[in-house]
Amino acid sequence: MAAAPRPVLVALGSEARALRLIQAGFRLAQERSVPWIAVHVELGGVDLAEDGEQAEVWLQEAQRLGAEIRIVQAPTLAQGLSEAVRSSRAQALLIGRSRDRWPWARVGHSTANELLRRGLDARIEVLDDRRGSPGSDPARTGFGAMVGTLAVLAACTGVAWLVPREGNISLVLPVYLAAVTFIAHHWSQGLAVLASVMSALLYSFLLETPRFSQVDAHWPNLLFFLAMLFAAQAVVGLLHRLRQQAREVERREVHTASLYLLGRALGRGRTPEEVATTAAEHLRRVFKVEAHLLFPEGSSWRALPSPGPLLDLPPPEALLPRLDAGERLGDPLEPLPLGRAHCLSLLGTDRSEGVLLVQPRESSAPPPETWELLKAFAVQIALALERLRWLEEARKAQLENETERMRSTLLGAIGHDLRTPLAAIHGAAGSLLLPGDLPPATQRDLLTMIQDESERLAHLLGNLLDLTRLESGALQVQKEWQPLEEVVGSALGRLERRQGPLPVHVDLPESLPLVPLDAALMEQVLVNLLTNAQRHAPGKDIELRAWGEPGWVHLEVADRGPGIPAPFLDRIFDKFFRLPGAGEGGVGMGLAICRAIVLAHGGSVHAEHRPGGGSRFRVALPLDGTAPAPPEGSP
Amino acid sequence: MNQPLILIIEDEESLRRFLVPTLSGQRYQVLSAATAAEGLAMARSHNPDLVLLDLGLPDRDGMAVLKELRTWSRKPVVILSARNQERDKVRALDQGADDYLAKPFGAAELLARIRVALRHILQADLADPVVHGGGIRIDLEQREVRLEGRPVKLTGLEYRLLEALVRRNGKVATHSQLLSEVWGPGGEGNTHYLRIYMAMLRKKLEADPTRPRHFITEPSVGYRLNLDARED
Repeated sequence: MAAAPRPVLVALGSEARALRLIQAGFRLAQERSVPWIAVHVELGGVDLAEDGEQAEVWLQEAQRLGAEIRIVQAPTLAQGLSEAVRSSRAQALLIGRSRDRWPWARVGHSTANELLRRGLDARIEVLDDRRGSPGSDPARTGFGAMVGTLAVLAACTGVAWLVPREGNISLVLPVYLAAVTFIAHHWSQGLAVLASVMSALLYSFLLETPRFSQVDAHWPNLLFFLAMLFAAQAVVGLLHRLRQQAREVERREVHTASLYLLGRALGRGRTPEEVATTAAEHLRRVFKVEAHLLFPEGSSWRALPSPGPLLDLPPPEALLPRLDAGERLGDPLEPLPLGRAHCLSLLGTDRSEGVLLVQPRESSAPPPETWELLKAFAVQIALALERLRWLEEARKAQLENETERMRSTLLGAIGHDLRTPLAAIHGAAGSLLLPGDLPPATQRDLLTMIQDESERLAHLLGNLLDLTRLESGALQVQKEWQPLEEVVGSALGRLERRQGPLPVHVDLPESLPLVPLDAALMEQVLVNLLTNAQRHAPGKDIELRAWGEPGWVHLEVADRGPGIPAPFLDRIFDKFFRLPGAGEGGVGMGLAICRAIVLAHGGSVHAEHRPGGGSRFRVALPLDGTAPAPPEGSP
Repeated sequence: MNQPLILIIEDEESLRRFLVPTLSGQRYQVLSAATAAEGLAMARSHNPDLVLLDLGLPDRDGMAVLKELRTWSRKPVVILSARNQERDKVRALDQGADDYLAKPFGAAELLARIRVALRHILQADLADPVVHGGGIRIDLEQREVRLEGRPVKLTGLEYRLLEALVRRNGKVATHSQLLSEVWGPGGEGNTHYLRIYMAMLRKKLEADPTRPRHFITEPSVGYRLNLDARED
């Protein structure tokens, strides 16, 4: 038991500074590697319900940082705390100094003093968080203030001298009241106390008649005078505190509003760039700093919004651990000073989303009381980035799902179409190998079948590969300016070499411009469209025509087949879609390939009813960029 | 030379099983190798009249084999390549390959390509300056072109393009080969010139320019002139 380390005790109230106490306690416990306890004293019947709830929040935060939680009930704070110190054998007690006390209460009667008097076996540390809070500029109690005080008092005495008084205190008092009020308001309450005493003395020595007499003759007046001055001073002090509170409330309102505005603006960001731009804008407006979001990229930083910070930053592998060190000190968001700039970790729910770098535009850093707001900004930005990351991950997951679904559809659809020709080839080869002679005509039949079916297989596989490569983006469109005629020619040539003359009527106007296209891919589009037309209207005429309009070239393949039912006009370009009752034939890849290729060209393709029966497929190709100059001497 | 010797460098056994008997059956002598190293060794020791070279070999890139072959041999090389490898085909052709066959190919196509490749490259301007077929008659000596007996008037560039194709004797010519032969060095970027002139040639010499029978487009690769088109 004796070997057990003595813990650090932190007294938490309901005030906002409890957060600092928690961090300080955590840090101290870490330094000394001892456990720490957060204690809250419930003063029977005095606490407000809201205060209790707030204290609960702080206790939870302390618990998050590894503190043991203890709630003590006692008539006074000092009593409760000393009990807690004794029972836990704490080596140190951290308490905050209350701002909300009367000035005289600070002298001798504070909880800290009372605890000291109780002679506890623990060091008592008072965390004074008033430093840097508004309205407590230490310069105001300096030498200048002292001189000012004396000057004001001298002036008052001068004025009072001139006032006809004849033993009437009521005429002199207002002058001194005004002076003390002025001093308390302008410099400090300590000086005002001093000024009150001095005023009383001045009054009784210089102004009270008979002058320069003993003080005891004027006791009643002097006491009255002094009391009035102290009262005035107290009122000023009260006003001063009220004004500070009002200012604080105002500041918080501004903070809340700016946080709200930031949150709303960040919510609209769709890319890290947008988030960074928004964040930088708001930070510049609110804090007068240049802000950048930094994302580690290998061994360097990517800064958004660009242009990047001019500062020489340590590489991520050096900076990130130092930022993570913030976590060990209790506040993961604690800004890390870096020359004139500061770095804040952008902590999301489960990981760091990046680093916020702020550089003050003026020489001075933002005042300390804005750090809390800056941290709140950092949290908002981190959440916005995290939201984007999650959206992206969700999108990817959906895509993967889609791909998976597609894959199973593909297996189902292709399985059958691959197996049929394979079965035929296998069967035919088997019969040819059987012992015994087949009539030559039969042999030839079987061999022809093997050839046809293997061609069908090759075609199927080719389509499948094309589609996969088009969709994965592995296939790059290499556009070159060329006459459409050539592509039409090679497509028709390819088809007719395979299956003899086709009833295709080609109508290409002489005036067609050169079109930027990938010849091999567009040939595929035409071959697929013509094959499709031929399949649905065997033996019937097919029209292939093209025409130009400014910026575009249109191509049409029209057939006199049965046509496409209206509900399917859009869907026929979907992968593996086959018209119901279309029977054997394609696998629903040809048109999907067409669409993928045309889209990759920046064009569009659609199907529609052809007046007079049948359907027509229209491809629009953009004439983007400027056509190259025609060679000299060409028509 | 009565029985030309063909060396097959192809790693797929099933393709070799198809190629060897098909070519032997056509009175060719056939050698086959499954790796680049073996193929190059055989090429040196036997000096084949034609090499069928697969681009996807296990031990070395087919393109490297082609380059090495070309350092000492001018004999025709026909590339066997998978479909959709236009860029590889063009590279191989520009590196000195004579022609290519895209897998899968049929026996008839294979034999036709080999026949074309085995014709002597310079036959056109040495043995017979006049080539004809499909109603077209081209006299390289007289610089005269006739279609169905009627003279056709070609511009200078059109004629040079036609001549470049004729001299290839049915083998494919890549865009860059034609551009540098017709427009001279530095013309490589202007593929569209070539296309426009090809369109003009077709208008003058093809019955239906949208169904070219002689001036065949090999998409993304180049062109070939086929004057024997009537057969198929």
